[in-house]
Amino acid sequence: MKRARTVALVVLAAALLAIWAFPVLWALLTSFKTERDVLAYPPTVIFTPTLRNYHDVLFGATSLLPNLLSSVIVAGVSTLLTLLLAIPAAYALARLDFPGKRTSGFYVLATQMLPPVGLIIPYYLVLQKIGGLDTYAGLIVIYLTFSLPFAIWLMVSYFEDIPHEMEEAALLDRAGRLRALWYVILPQARGGIAVTTIFVFLNAWNEFLFAVVLGGNRVRPVTVAMFNFISVEQTLWAKLAAGAMLAMAPVILLGLLAQRHIVKGLTVGAVKGGGRR
Amino acid sequence: MTSWRASSGSGARPGEDRAPNASEAGAGRHTPGRVGMRGIVKRHGSFTALAGIDLDIAPGEFFALLGPSGSGKTTTLRILAGLEPPTAGTVVLDGEDVTAREPGARDVAMVFQSYALYPHMTVFDNIAFPLRMIATPQHEVERAVRDAAAKVHIDHLLARRPGQLSGGQQQRCALARAIVRKPRLFLLDEPLSNLDAKLRLETRVELRKLQRALGVTTVYVTHDQEEAMTIADRVAVFMEGRIVQVGRPQDIFARPASAIVAAFIGSPPMNLLPAEVHDGLLKVAGVDVPLARPLGANGPVTLGVRPAALRIADRGLPARVYLIENLGDTTIVDLDVAGQVIKLRTEQPPALHEGDAVHVAFAPDAMHVFERDSGARRDV
Repeated sequence: MKRARTVALVVLAAALLAIWAFPVLWALLTSFKTERDVLAYPPTVIFTPTLRNYHDVLFGATSLLPNLLSSVIVAGVSTLLTLLLAIPAAYALARLDFPGKRTSGFYVLATQMLPPVGLIIPYYLVLQKIGGLDTYAGLIVIYLTFSLPFAIWLMVSYFEDIPHEMEEAALLDRAGRLRALWYVILPQARGGIAVTTIFVFLNAWNEFLFAVVLGGNRVRPVTVAMFNFISVEQTLWAKLAAGAMLAMAPVILLGLLAQRHIVKGLTVGAVKGGGRR
Repeated sequence: MTSWRASSGSGARPGEDRAPNASEAGAGRHTPGRVGMRGIVKRHGSFTALAGIDLDIAPGEFFALLGPSGSGKTTTLRILAGLEPPTAGTVVLDGEDVTAREPGARDVAMVFQSYALYPHMTVFDNIAFPLRMIATPQHEVERAVRDAAAKVHIDHLLARRPGQLSGGQQQRCALARAIVRKPRLFLLDEPLSNLDAKLRLETRVELRKLQRALGVTTVYVTHDQEEAMTIADRVAVFMEGRIVQVGRPQDIFARPASAIVAAFIGSPPMNLLPAEVHDGLLKVAGVDVPLARPLGANGPVTLGVRPAALRIADRGLPARVYLIENLGDTTIVDLDVAGQVIKLRTEQPPALHEGDAVHVAFAPDAMHVFERDSGARRDV
C-alpha cells in the first residue's frame, strides 16, 4: 500500500517536472542545432550537435557578452541598492513606532498597484528631462521603484516573524539598536534576505519592457539584445536558444548558492519555531 | 501594605536575615542592587496596566512579583528593565533615577520566559554576547563564559546551538548569559514556566542556591504562588495593576491583607465564607462561632479559614461531605457548608464517605475576617 503510494507520487512528480523542464530542455537541444535542423518538421531529436551558436553569441558579431555585462551591472547594482535600502526600511516598519507608519506602509504598497506599462511614458519623459535615458543610473533608479516596495514588503514579514525578545535581550546585553540588528536580527533573517535577493535579482535580470524603452545603445541588457534575433524576415531560433542558455547561467548559479537559505526562508512561520535555528 | 523606604535607615528590615550574603558579595563595600519604584503608572490607551506601583527592594534580596496573568507583574518587570517606559513615575536604581535610561545603560540582566537565546549562535557565543558588546578582551571572555557555564552545569554544551538543547538546558543557557557579566540586578520573567513539573522543582532549588551564592538582587515574576512562597525572601502580590500586599512569604500566608490575597495564596487556598458580625459574635451558616477576640463593628464580613485549620468535630458548622480527594500523604475533603463548597486538608485519612453529614470546626485564632465589601482585612 505504502509502496503504491510512493510509486504514484514519483510518477506524479516526474510528470510535473517534465512539464516544467520541457521548454528548458527543448531550448537546450535547440541551442546545439543548426538553424536548418531547428526548422525541420517533424522536429528531430537526433541531429549532429554544433557549437556554432554558442560561438556566435559569445565571440561572433552578435556576441552577447557586453549585454550580459550590462545585465549584471543593472541587476546587480539594483539588487544591492534594494537590499541596502529595503532592509532598514522593512526593519523600521516591522519594529519601530513612528508617526505616519501606517500611511508610509500603505504608500509603499500603493506603488505596486499601478500597472507598470502605464508608467513607461512618464518615466521616459522624466528620464529624458534629466538626461537619464540610456544610462545605467537611469535604468537602475527605475528598477528600484519596483523592487524596493516588493523587497520591503517581503522583508517586513520576515522581521515580524522574529520574536521581539530577541532585540530586547540584545538591548539588555548592551548591544544598542544597530548592533542588535546586525548581530542578532539580520543573521536570523538571512533566509528572507536570500529569498528577497533572488526575487529582486531575477526581476531585474529578466526585465525587458523598461530596458528596451529606457535603455538603447549603451545600456542594452541581454534580454533586449536577444530580441534582435527576432526580426521581420526571420527568427534565429538556435541563436536565441543559445543566448537564453547563456542568460540563464548566472541566475541558476545564484539560485544554487542561495538554495540552502531559500528553502529555510520559504518555510519561516509555517511551523512554530520552524526555519529558525 | 506600606513598603519600607531605602532611606529609612537600617532598622528592622526584611532583608536583615540575609546579611551574610550581602557581605559575601560586597566584601565590606556598598552592595549595589537597591531598587525603588515610585508611583509607576502604565496605560495603554484607555487600559490601565499599572495603577501606581511603589516598591523597594534591598540589595541581595530575592524578590518575587506574584499575581494572576494580567495583573501587571510582567509590565512592572519590563519597566524595571527599561523595555517599556512608564506613563508616570520613576525607577530608581542605587539612588539614581534611571527612568529615562536605555535598557543597556541600567546594568541589569534578564531571563525571558521564552529564554530569547540567539538561535544562530553557539551556547558559548550566546553567553559571551553581553561581554563582547562591551569589548571585553578575548581571554577574559573565555574565562568568564566557562565560569558562568560551570555554575549552571552546561560547560559541556558550549559548542552546541540552542536548537540542540533540551528545554532545561536552554533555560540554563539563558541564566548563564544573565550571570556572566555580574549585573547589579537580575530580572527573571517566569523562568521556570516552560519546564516540566519535576524539573521545575529541581531548578527552583538550584536557582535559589545560585542567587544566594552570587548575592545579586533578583526580581522574579511568577503566577505560581507556591513558587513565589518557596523561593523568595519577600513577595509582592499583584492584583489588577496594583500591589495589594508586600511581605515575607510566611507573613503573607499568616496574615493576608485582603480576601483576594487570601484566596490566591496556599494550596488549596483559604476557604472564604460569608458571615455576619453582630454584638461581638460571628454568625456563619446559621451558627454562632466563638471568638478569640472582639471583632469590631457589626455588619457583613467574609470569614476565612485555611484548609489545614479545619477539622471534623462533634460540634461546629453543619456540613455534608461532597468529595474526598486522596493525595497519598494528605487528603482533601470537599465539604458543602450552606450551599458553598469548602476544602479541608488533613494528614489522617478520615473515616468519611461522600454524602455524610458532619460538623466542621476550627480554632478561634485560625480565623481571618475580611470586610465583605472592600475585602480588607479586619484586624481581630
